[in-house]
Amino acid sequence: MNTKNEHNPNPDKNPLKIVLKKDFAAFLDSLIEDESLEVHGVKSKDTKFVFGPLESADELRLDYDVTVIPPKKYFLPLYESMMHFDVSQPFWVQASEDVPKRVIIGVHPYDIVAIRQMDTYYTDSFVDDLYVRRRKNTLIVGVTVANVSEKAFFGDMGTGIVDSGFDLMLTDLEDVMALEVGTEAGADLIAKVHTRDATPEEADKVRRKREHAAAAARRGLKTPPEQWSHLLQRNHDNPAWKTQSDKCLSCGTCTSVCPTCFCYDVSDKMHLDMKTGSRMRTWDGCMLRGFTQVGSGEIFREKRIDRYRHRFRRKGEYLPARLNFVACVGCGRCSTQCIPDIADPVTLFNMITESSRELEERPVLHPVSPITAKGPALSSTDRDLYIPRPATIKRVEHLSEWEKLFELELDDGSTLDHEPGQFVELSIMGYGEAPISVSSAPGPKSFELAVRKVGDVTSRLHELSPGDKVGIRGPFGTGFGARALEGKNLLVIAGGIGIIPTRSLINYVLDHRQDFGELTVLYGCKKPCELLFSKEVTEWDKRDDVTHLRSVDSCPEGECWEGEVGLITCLIPLATFDPKTTIAFVVGPPVMYKFVIRDLVNRGMPEENIIVSLERRMKCGVGKCGHCQMNGVYVCKEGPVFKYSEIKNLPEAFT
Amino acid sequence: MKKQKPRVAFFDFASCEGCQLQIANLEEAVIDVTKLVDIVSFREVMKEHSDDYDIAVIEGSIMRPMDVERLKKIRKNAKVLVALGACACIGCVQRMVNQWPVEESIAAVYDKDPALNDNPYFANFKTKALDEVVTVDVYIPGCPIDRDEFCNVLAALLQGKKPPIPDYPVCVDCKKKENVCLYELSRVCMGPVARAGCGAICPTHGSECEACRGYVTHPEEDAHTEVLEKYEISAEQIMQLKSMFTYRYIEEKAKAEVEQ
Repeated sequence: MNTKNEHNPNPDKNPLKIVLKKDFAAFLDSLIEDESLEVHGVKSKDTKFVFGPLESADELRLDYDVTVIPPKKYFLPLYESMMHFDVSQPFWVQASEDVPKRVIIGVHPYDIVAIRQMDTYYTDSFVDDLYVRRRKNTLIVGVTVANVSEKAFFGDMGTGIVDSGFDLMLTDLEDVMALEVGTEAGADLIAKVHTRDATPEEADKVRRKREHAAAAARRGLKTPPEQWSHLLQRNHDNPAWKTQSDKCLSCGTCTSVCPTCFCYDVSDKMHLDMKTGSRMRTWDGCMLRGFTQVGSGEIFREKRIDRYRHRFRRKGEYLPARLNFVACVGCGRCSTQCIPDIADPVTLFNMITESSRELEERPVLHPVSPITAKGPALSSTDRDLYIPRPATIKRVEHLSEWEKLFELELDDGSTLDHEPGQFVELSIMGYGEAPISVSSAPGPKSFELAVRKVGDVTSRLHELSPGDKVGIRGPFGTGFGARALEGKNLLVIAGGIGIIPTRSLINYVLDHRQDFGELTVLYGCKKPCELLFSKEVTEWDKRDDVTHLRSVDSCPEGECWEGEVGLITCLIPLATFDPKTTIAFVVGPPVMYKFVIRDLVNRGMPEENIIVSLERRMKCGVGKCGHCQMNGVYVCKEGPVFKYSEIKNLPEAFT
Repeated sequence: MKKQKPRVAFFDFASCEGCQLQIANLEEAVIDVTKLVDIVSFREVMKEHSDDYDIAVIEGSIMRPMDVERLKKIRKNAKVLVALGACACIGCVQRMVNQWPVEESIAAVYDKDPALNDNPYFANFKTKALDEVVTVDVYIPGCPIDRDEFCNVLAALLQGKKPPIPDYPVCVDCKKKENVCLYELSRVCMGPVARAGCGAICPTHGSECEACRGYVTHPEEDAHTEVLEKYEISAEQIMQLKSMFTYRYIEEKAKAEVEQ
């Protein structure tokens, strides 16, 4: 038989088979009876359709228009156990159980494109093994769209016809069923079914049905998807954003029902035995207000307009730039289900197009291919992306009322192998996971985390003692690039707990003092009692190869303070450094950056000499969950350390 | 020495006691719960009572001076005070009565029965939620509460974790249930402003959400009202919808406006 596998797509040669309707129904029923396989398909629910387990061939509704939620639920389940834990053991974590082999029947081409986009997203740079194991265990039986939903625009998006991304593709030819065989697995599935090759007339009929559906799903989109990116970049301030988002309920419906919204949240669920439990992930969405909220309470996308705009820019601009696809497939689910009727991409992009300042000239900036159902090969991976490595607390040091320092060692005896500026994901099973900057210089077997008590994980950590175990993933993100700084003059400006990641750099420089030029440290905190690492700070004072100045915002009566009183910016004029030959590292609370950077630039420091480290909600650390996104940038992957000059124009970088 | 289990006492004020019934009906989980805590007072299931407790779980709203007194005493005794259910959290349906002067309501129900004069049981003031009288540490919303959620909150409480009560709209839960939106079926629903966590149980069974769990922290009320108007719901109907379980928010909004 002339078949092909998914790694070698050859769409022109996909075999097209014909099966009698009654044989097709018998085939479905035999699949349903096969206990080694779960059979899911499209069924009716109330006035609409959903994907669900099939009990008989009669239930399957291949004439559906669109389902309430997309088949992404099979690969990123509504609730998925990521791992199990038992806290009665010092550290016991087990991968979640294997997933069943499944076949999904009746996936429309636009949803197939979305699945292939999801494949690309979930295997880009870090392979999400939880995703891949489900994906590899699932056969996809597509179907040519028979009825086009009112709001669908997959014709405009070019996602109405696919030549790969499925194992089988059905087309209902009234008296018979046509089966296009996309993979060997698809061929195996129908090996026992009585089929014959399609006649040229039948093949032509299939082609016409597909073209008819694609043509019917056009709604007059004025800017083609490959030009969305350009349009969006030039219309950050377009009035349409406000007009539309003023009506937004922040209800999360659009992101929930979207086949190309992949973000998730994670939480630990403890069973009532108070010993065992599971780390769960569930769908999350950037339109929900708390999506970007960090432990300290800060919400980075607090306004509806910012969340609303982010949703469209992610689809039309950020993902195209990153992964080369427009993350909208024209299914129309958001358009149908948004009750204030503001989620429809056709309406929004047409509104922007009509009011765009540059109607005439709109070149294609990114060579995007929205029409692709091509995705990566899903190679097997043995790596558990989310399972933390056990580490033991060696030492706990009280730093202040809110901060403690923890010295940790990985139980497998390896060093953390981090770079100053990187972070780890620290797990306490039953409590969750939190991103924590590494505070020690690389080198010894152990590493140090200085942690402020703000949320469940950090509060629990503060209760732990030497000998207790925690989980570690990472190190993640970018560092300060310490090795590349050799010979340079360095100026560290740390506000509050900004001293924690910068201490890693300072100690590295002190360990290799002869390799660097001048080192100046400006450190400001709110009150004297909040000064961290006071012993080390006093040591810096004594050294003649470090210049150290410190400030407090205010000094309450009764506390004593040797240093300046005022905001951290008051230290900048007091420091002597050559702005042209010095690299500055600015780390602190969000409000600090604008003022410190302004003063540095006024002092004559070139912008490219300024390095910042930013805080965001880095939930997964591997660029999947979506929470830390700052415009198109994943702070957990491309940050947290950035060159100021590279991100200064991102509207979401310095709020 | 074995660690002593936390002692839990249940109390009720103006309510149907249905939330406590949910706990009495925990089925197998009851065994787990009793392994974790000592229940020292629970009128629905036991005769014994003790004033020595760590956690007070309180159902019901506060209607009279005598309730205030009793609630304050409980607050003093308890290390942790849990508001159980819509009555305790927001005032529930009995808060609808706050739309009218108290005297009128009493007269409407009891006429002018002289037996009510100076009777402290009938000395009603306007319905209050617990946190309008004392500090509440943990809220378990809903009418009635969700049993799983009660267990999850209890587990979190014993772990020292923040109670896992969602702060996003019911629509999120409802989509996960793959429900057809009631608005699409030309019906109205409070889901877009109501706090999730119930698994959208009402829409899943064909009834509109009435926001018995209260609103999310930042409800988009204006946008929601606009939607209701778009669906040609009369102002009176909108008011009715918003008064059912959530009259507290109307009162608070009016109060804030007066203060401004």
